[in-house]
Amino acid sequence: MSFLAKNLLTKKLAIWVMQLWIIFLGQLIYQESLAQYPEKPITLITPFAAGGSSDLIARVFTTYLNSYLAQPMLIRLVPGQAGQKGTLEAIRATPDGYTLVFIDNYRDQLHQYTFPNDFYDTNEDLVTVARINYGQIAIIVRATGPYQSWDEFLVAARAGSGQLKMAHSGLWAALFVPAWRIMQEFDLRFRMIPYRGGGPAKAALMAGDVDFSMAFPATVVQDVEAGKVRILATAGPERTIKGVPSFTEIGLAPGTGYIHRIVMAPAGIADDRLAVLQDALQQLQMDKDYQAAMARLGENLEYLTGPAYELVRRQQSAEYAELVSTLTSRP
Amino acid sequence: MFDMLMLGLNDALRLDTFIWIGGGLLLGMLVGALPGFTTSMGMSVLVPISFLVGDPLIGIPFLIGVYKGGIYGGSVPAILISMPGTGASIATVLDGYALTKKGQSRKALEMSLFSSGLSDFFSDIFTLVMIIPVATVVLGFGPPEIAAVMFLSLVIIAVTSAGPAVKGLIMLGLGIWVGFVGADPFSAMARYTFGTTELYDGFHLIPILIGLFALPEIFNAVKEGDTRGKRISTFVGERLRLQELKSSFRTILRSTMIGTGIGIVPGLGQPIAAMMGYIAAKNASKYPEKFGKGELDGVAAAESANNAVNGPTMVPLLTLGIPGDSVTALLLGAFMMQGLRPGPTLLESSGNVVFAILIAMIFANVLFVIIGYLAIPLFARVVTIKKSLLIPVTIMLAFAGTYLARSNPFDIITLISFGLIGIAARAAKFDVAPMVMGFILGRELEYAFGQTLALAGDNWIHFAFGERLGMTAILLATPLVGAILGFRMNRFRKRSLDSDRK
Repeated sequence: MSFLAKNLLTKKLAIWVMQLWIIFLGQLIYQESLAQYPEKPITLITPFAAGGSSDLIARVFTTYLNSYLAQPMLIRLVPGQAGQKGTLEAIRATPDGYTLVFIDNYRDQLHQYTFPNDFYDTNEDLVTVARINYGQIAIIVRATGPYQSWDEFLVAARAGSGQLKMAHSGLWAALFVPAWRIMQEFDLRFRMIPYRGGGPAKAALMAGDVDFSMAFPATVVQDVEAGKVRILATAGPERTIKGVPSFTEIGLAPGTGYIHRIVMAPAGIADDRLAVLQDALQQLQMDKDYQAAMARLGENLEYLTGPAYELVRRQQSAEYAELVSTLTSRP
Repeated sequence: MFDMLMLGLNDALRLDTFIWIGGGLLLGMLVGALPGFTTSMGMSVLVPISFLVGDPLIGIPFLIGVYKGGIYGGSVPAILISMPGTGASIATVLDGYALTKKGQSRKALEMSLFSSGLSDFFSDIFTLVMIIPVATVVLGFGPPEIAAVMFLSLVIIAVTSAGPAVKGLIMLGLGIWVGFVGADPFSAMARYTFGTTELYDGFHLIPILIGLFALPEIFNAVKEGDTRGKRISTFVGERLRLQELKSSFRTILRSTMIGTGIGIVPGLGQPIAAMMGYIAAKNASKYPEKFGKGELDGVAAAESANNAVNGPTMVPLLTLGIPGDSVTALLLGAFMMQGLRPGPTLLESSGNVVFAILIAMIFANVLFVIIGYLAIPLFARVVTIKKSLLIPVTIMLAFAGTYLARSNPFDIITLISFGLIGIAARAAKFDVAPMVMGFILGRELEYAFGQTLALAGDNWIHFAFGERLGMTAILLATPLVGAILGFRMNRFRKRSLDSDRK
């Protein structure tokens, strides 16, 4: 046996190597304890196709959020199955704070009744990080059309025996749900014509193909100014446009016509990591550039913390259950 | 309007605008050349850059550069490795890859570039000049007219497919059926999904395209046996001659008109434009039997038609605030982020900026041709790669591109399944192009037809002859167009068979 081999096998050397190993391990554990979440980029799953309003809002807030998080938040579009595919992917991810999902209240609370699945329950499997903002829908008609006000519209809808045509953006989506609520509340029937998004629905209205539609006011400001579109009512308890009644005034439930855009995390995420995310999002609200960017998009900054939005979720669940139950009682 | 146009011209002539357009074009070409990475995906990722630069005359032209570059970029893998990365390149693959197999890949790439650049240029000028009058026409195209145009397109594709008409019809029918798989667009009820959630959204276009066009080519290359040392070609190929471009000029103009017309109507899109441009060129040609076997005119027809769609899609977006597809939806967001709100009053409030953007779009075509021309020798070098290396790389691109499009492992199964269908179809001499078009058009036609039924209600006669005369006229013309084209194509088929026998 060579000199080197003899020495390698000595007890002294073995102890020395073990000591080094322990120091190395200790150092690793110490480093780990010092490591601040997030250490790597966070994936934000957006279960919608490229080009939609959710995609755009996600890109805006993640861009400015980078200043308040140690790592960037990267968007991953996982469209499909009315948002269920991306949502399921987020739910199946390890709840380590590195995978989040950006969805809306319809995907979160309504679809459990309209598109039930055996794979997840958003109430059990997702927790709210924060609500980014909300949009309030408005009922729109052609300015040159026969309806000057909500009252005139209501009279025509009652007299029309189900012949009024409504352009919506897809089954149980942002434009469809408030229209269904109106039918339920006022015992009306509409002919619901589907379009691929709010843009084509608005085009159908302007072309005279349909009698009314819904839109977020920011998307029709120019059309209203140009005298092409009239807003008959806007969602919410109070008036947001001068001279235009609110949904509460015309007799609709207070929550009707709201789309909440929410960042959620798989259930089981550590409290400290949730707090880091919530802190960053809270700080983002004060960012002037972010505020200006959202204003240019016509989006509000109605941020809500996770715990506060959890209360809204519970309320929505009950409302949607009741709304969908009318499906069975209607032809 | 003339004042605004002049102001726009003054604003558009900025060096930084053109540097950013150049960057956008280059990125777009790279994105488009990557199979599975669609133009809208690339633009979606790059949207934040456009609003962070904070100047509409940089941010918007940059994205338009990505859009133009992306549509052209899709033709590169279609021509070189028979892999149409996007639906827009579906007709390019038919003659583009045949030219590559003849050792004329560079010629095909250059024809694709010049025809794309020219048609983009002409359609952008049309957009600039006609933006206001065309805006009033756009709203006349609703679901009934779109359904009628789709139906007419299906009939045209059926009667003009390569080979026997019956085989074309079978493939078209199969494509339409494949398009029906998934949730019913109106009731959301599952159809032909066999209880799986993976099929709920139906099949995705990318794995079908790659499976039907690229996998059979890979299979053939592997079947050839010893591939060591072999190349598709030993040199990058001849350049396109000016005479060849001149002789395709009529085709380019025709396809530009077709693409421009289709681009104005929100919801029709590039694949239909490319196919219609290709069919029109084939029908007008003295030698239609050469189409599909490496005809430069075929590449020119398809590429000029799909790029001509780009400019006119801006008309409904800018004048009515209506995005026709995901790309224009992204542009709408980008405009809003720059403080410009597309809609009826945009031209009044910010006419100079809008015209500056449209003028920059026109000048961008010059940059587009220059950048593309510089990149072609690099792209064309693909054919000089040894097959033993090219085949595994192509397989990797096929699978990676498929997965990249939606990050869905099920798409890999779709890719393999449609690859097998493509191999079987080729063995039985069935043309796969009608199947892809049946898939694309069938589901769109179903949607538009369902909307039409809902709009029509019970009184169909009044709807067809009182409210929707445009739809009725197209439907009445359809059998006539189908009969004329079918008769002509039958004559060409016979001539083609005779020449094959000789």
